[in-house]
Amino acid sequence: MESDEKRSIEYKMDILVGYILLTGVLVSIVLIATGVVWHYVDTGHLGFDYSIAGMNLFQFVLNEIHQFTQFHLRPRLFVNLGIAALMLTPYIRVLASMLFFALAEQNYKYTTFTAIVLMVLTYGLFLR
Amino acid sequence: MIRFVCRLTHYVSINIHLLKENRMSFEILLLVSIVAGFVGAMSGMGGGVILIPALTLLGMDIKHAIAISIVSVIATSSGSASAYVRDRITNLKVGMFLEMFTIVGALVGAAITLISSRGPLFIIFGLVLLGSWLTLLLQRHEMWRPIEHQDKFSNWLELNGEYFDHASNETIAYCGGRAYLGGPLMFGAGLIAGLLGIGAGALKVLIHDLVMGLPPKVSTTTSNLIIGVTALAGTSVYLAAGMISPALAAPVILGIVAGAFIGTRILVKLTNQSVRLFFLIILAILGVEMIIRGVGTIA
Repeated sequence: MESDEKRSIEYKMDILVGYILLTGVLVSIVLIATGVVWHYVDTGHLGFDYSIAGMNLFQFVLNEIHQFTQFHLRPRLFVNLGIAALMLTPYIRVLASMLFFALAEQNYKYTTFTAIVLMVLTYGLFLR
Repeated sequence: MIRFVCRLTHYVSINIHLLKENRMSFEILLLVSIVAGFVGAMSGMGGGVILIPALTLLGMDIKHAIAISIVSVIATSSGSASAYVRDRITNLKVGMFLEMFTIVGALVGAAITLISSRGPLFIIFGLVLLGSWLTLLLQRHEMWRPIEHQDKFSNWLELNGEYFDHASNETIAYCGGRAYLGGPLMFGAGLIAGLLGIGAGALKVLIHDLVMGLPPKVSTTTSNLIIGVTALAGTSVYLAAGMISPALAAPVILGIVAGAFIGTRILVKLTNQSVRLFFLIILAILGVEMIIRGVGTIA
C-alpha cells in the first residue's frame, strides 16, 4: 500500500519534470522565432548585429523584464527573452524537483542533494 | 538565369565579407545548425560534436563556437529528456546524484576554456572526436550486465528502479552500483562538457553502463537529463564572460532544434548500419582535421 503511494508520487514527479522541460523549450523557441520574424519584417533581412555585454543571467532577465514592462518592445527583446527562458528551463526543473522531494516525497536525503545542485547552479548564474 | 547567378555571386561575396570580420550570416548559421542537429539526432551523439568543427571551419573563433554550442545543448537535451521522463524510463535519483558532480566539472571546464589558448582546445576536441569514433567502432550490442550485489553506498543512495520495456512487454527491475566511482568520473564528463561545449553524452552513457551497471535505456535517457543541467552550468560561465551573442545564438538554437526534430523522425527509416558508417567517416575526418589545426596553431 505504502509502496503504491510512493509509486504514484514518483509518477507525478516524472510528469511534472517532463512538462517543465517541454514547456521551457517550446516557450524559448517561440520567443526566439517571433523576434527573428519580426526583425525580418521590419528590416527585410534576417541577420542581427548586436551582442550583450558580460552579465549574469539574473541581471539579464531583470533587464529584459524591465524593458518589457516599459513597453519598449523590440525584436531583440524577444530573442533575449527566448535565450533566458532556455537557460531557466533546467534551473526551474531542478527547483521543482527539490520542492517535490521535500514536500511530496519527504525524502530529505535527495532534498539535500537537489539543494546542493541548485546552489551550485545559482552560484554559476551569479558569476560576473 | 543570369540574374539568379548574379544574385548568388552577390550573396556569396557578402557572406565571405562577413566571415572575414568573424561574423556569420544568419542563413549560413541556420543551415549549418540544422545539419548538425539532424546528424546529431540520427547518430545519437548530439549536435555539438558536428556544430563546433563546422563553425570553426567556416572561420568562427573556437571559443565562441564552444559558447554558442553549449547553449544549444540545453535545448536539444531538454527537448528529448522531456519525452523520456514522461515515458518513465529516466531515473531521476541517479540523475540528481550525478548532477552534483557534472555541474562542478562544467564550471571548472568552462573556466579553463576562457583562459586557455586555442591550440590545445583544437587538439582536445580532436581527441574527443576520435574517442567517440572508437566507441562507435567497437559499439557493443546492447548487452546489460546487471549488478549482482549492490554496495552499501549505492543502496543508501536508493539507486534502484524499474521501467516498463515496450519491446519485451515486461517490467525490468535494476539497481545501480559503484556510485562512489561513478560520481567522481562524472566530474570528468562534466569537465569535458564545459571545456568543449558539447553534451559529452557518449562518455556519460559509458560511465552509467560500465561502472554503475544501469540498463542501456535507463543510462541513455538519464544521461540526457543530466546533460541539460550540466550545459546550463557551462553556459553561465560563458554568459558572464560576454561570449553568448544572441545574434549568433538565435539561428543556432532554432537550427539545432529543427534539425534534431527532423533527425528523430527519419531515424526510424534508415538502417542502423548506413548511419553508423556515415558517422564513422565524418568523425574520423573532423577529428584528424581538428588535431592538425591545433598542432598548426601551436607550432
